Amino acid sequence: MSASSETAVEVVDLTKHYGPVAAVRSVNLRIASGQYFVLLGPSGGGKTTLLRLIGGFLRPTSGKVLLHGVDVSDLPPNKRLTSMVFQSYALFPHMSVARNVGFGLRLRRMSDGDIRDKVNAMLGLVGLTGLGERMPHELSGGQQQRVQLARSLVLDTDILLLDEPLASLDAKLRKDMCLELKHIQEQVGITFLHVTHNQEEAMTVADHIAIIADGRLVESATPQDIYRNPQARYTAEFIGEKNLLRGRVVSSGDGVTGIDLGYATVRVMNSGKAIGIGADVSLSIPSERLFLVDGPGDGMECLTATFVERLFLGLTNNDVVRLADGTDLLIRSLASDAAPDVAQGAQVTVAWKRGDARLHTY
Amino acid sequence: MLDEYGNIWTYRGKWLYLLFVVGALLLPSFYIIYISFNEHGFGARIYEFTFDWYRIVLGDTMLVASLEWTGYLALGTVLAAVPMALLAAKFYKRTRYKVAFVTLMLSPLFVPADIMGSSLLVYFKHLNAFFRSLGQGLGADWLSTWFELGFITALIGQIVYTMPYAFIIILITMSRYREQQTEAARGCGATAWQAFWKVEFPQIRVGIFSSCAFVIILSFNEATRTALLKGGFDTFSNVLVSQMLNVGMSEESYAMAGTMSIVSMVVIGAILVYSMARAERLERVARAKAEPVMSE
Repeated sequence: MSASSETAVEVVDLTKHYGPVAAVRSVNLRIASGQYFVLLGPSGGGKTTLLRLIGGFLRPTSGKVLLHGVDVSDLPPNKRLTSMVFQSYALFPHMSVARNVGFGLRLRRMSDGDIRDKVNAMLGLVGLTGLGERMPHELSGGQQQRVQLARSLVLDTDILLLDEPLASLDAKLRKDMCLELKHIQEQVGITFLHVTHNQEEAMTVADHIAIIADGRLVESATPQDIYRNPQARYTAEFIGEKNLLRGRVVSSGDGVTGIDLGYATVRVMNSGKAIGIGADVSLSIPSERLFLVDGPGDGMECLTATFVERLFLGLTNNDVVRLADGTDLLIRSLASDAAPDVAQGAQVTVAWKRGDARLHTY
Repeated sequence: MLDEYGNIWTYRGKWLYLLFVVGALLLPSFYIIYISFNEHGFGARIYEFTFDWYRIVLGDTMLVASLEWTGYLALGTVLAAVPMALLAAKFYKRTRYKVAFVTLMLSPLFVPADIMGSSLLVYFKHLNAFFRSLGQGLGADWLSTWFELGFITALIGQIVYTMPYAFIIILITMSRYREQQTEAARGCGATAWQAFWKVEFPQIRVGIFSSCAFVIILSFNEATRTALLKGGFDTFSNVLVSQMLNVGMSEESYAMAGTMSIVSMVVIGAILVYSMARAERLERVARAKAEPVMSE
């Protein structure tokens, strides 16, 4: 990661309405220069709209877009310091690969020699050396996306916007391209703003992730924090395989909050959050942090449950247990021959370290 | 279903039938062309090939003038109707109210030619009367000529008539075009005009050129609206129709009809050949694209 403290992109109270429908609602976001930033969220959550607002392809209903501190909210895409890679279909089919890549340079009236040199260098960077004379339809899906990438990078803009660039590729190619994108970003050092609904893709490439859902910015943090320490309940549900328990605060003190689940009381570290007695809260526990134990231990939280089933997934076992209120918990553990068999319907004790659960108030 | 592979004549018969139908439809036109080259005209026992009737037609100043007027009308209609149809097609792709918009655009086609022509005639007469009285009231005489029957009113009639056809032709070609390419061009630094001219136009130009050709042919073929709206000049169709109605078909009439048929067939034939060649090329491209893309 080569992010600087300078802000490349800033959106302030950005809102976009389509008639009565709000696609983006008062989003505030800062993206540091040189960062690989990912907007992650479910389909229809507003992340592409946000990207298109930043790129100038849509006009905001209200709010501002600032690029390197300059308000560009009313500027068209060709007047902004951004270029964009689209999901698909965006290569010009009547132009060769080289002409596609050199399109923006020709608009800038660069000399033919300079264009040729820059295009060849860029095709080399994206691994398409020697394919300049081919037509877009003569390339595979992955190669076409690389041409789009080259066409955007050759412009030397500071900010590259990527709208689900890998969505139309097959799974294997998507994985390879993910790493390639990350390496190219490290090489060129510019700000990448990447939209995806794919968690694995986001975790692979991102320096920083923003969760976007229902037109709102839910949470923004590093991939590690988003996964291990989600602040919002939505993030906990959306990222990874988290177990979510709901309850009411019954005690608070010494950095520990007691939560009544209705059938048991558990304690959770509150990370300095001031939460009043009686407040409705939820806690999330990653499935890989839960385990079955014989009895309570120090610093452990335990619940009694009924064993439902075990699913063997090769590398891991997924155990499903049911709590007294009918909530199912998923326990993921490395599969090994040593794992004791548990009979369906057996009473078990499921446990986790107090510090592994996260408390959510929103 | 017929088994075409079992008997080759089943296959050939189908094509022969098609040729017969097309031939039967075109026969009258070819017959008129045939007669127009006979020195002795229609019904003569002897056939002697000649260009004389065409020479007479092209030497007739009134006919040449009518051809010129038709040419101007066709040119004006192309210059006005095709860009408007293009804008309408672009708007159609963006609007949410597609059905309402298409209905509006195609509505001139639902009205018979003579009713549309007479409606426009009445409309222009009223407009002219309004501007005349406005001009008198304001002391501006030049306003009194507005919407007097003439070239402009005939041109408006032609535009109303031809624009729906041009709209449909352009829209069909435009349906293949992905709007993301315009956005990609804008993202590369192109202005809206550059994005259209360098990226969109090359992909839809066959539709635009086809609509130009079609509008020209329609302008040469149209008689009713023009007759009602033209004022003090005649178009080629008007002369031909009036000649046929007043003095019957003469050798010159055959030559005039022959000229129109030949020009129309050559233009339409050229468009067809070009379109088919292009469609074949696009199909090859589509086939190549349809091949499954696997991991490299």
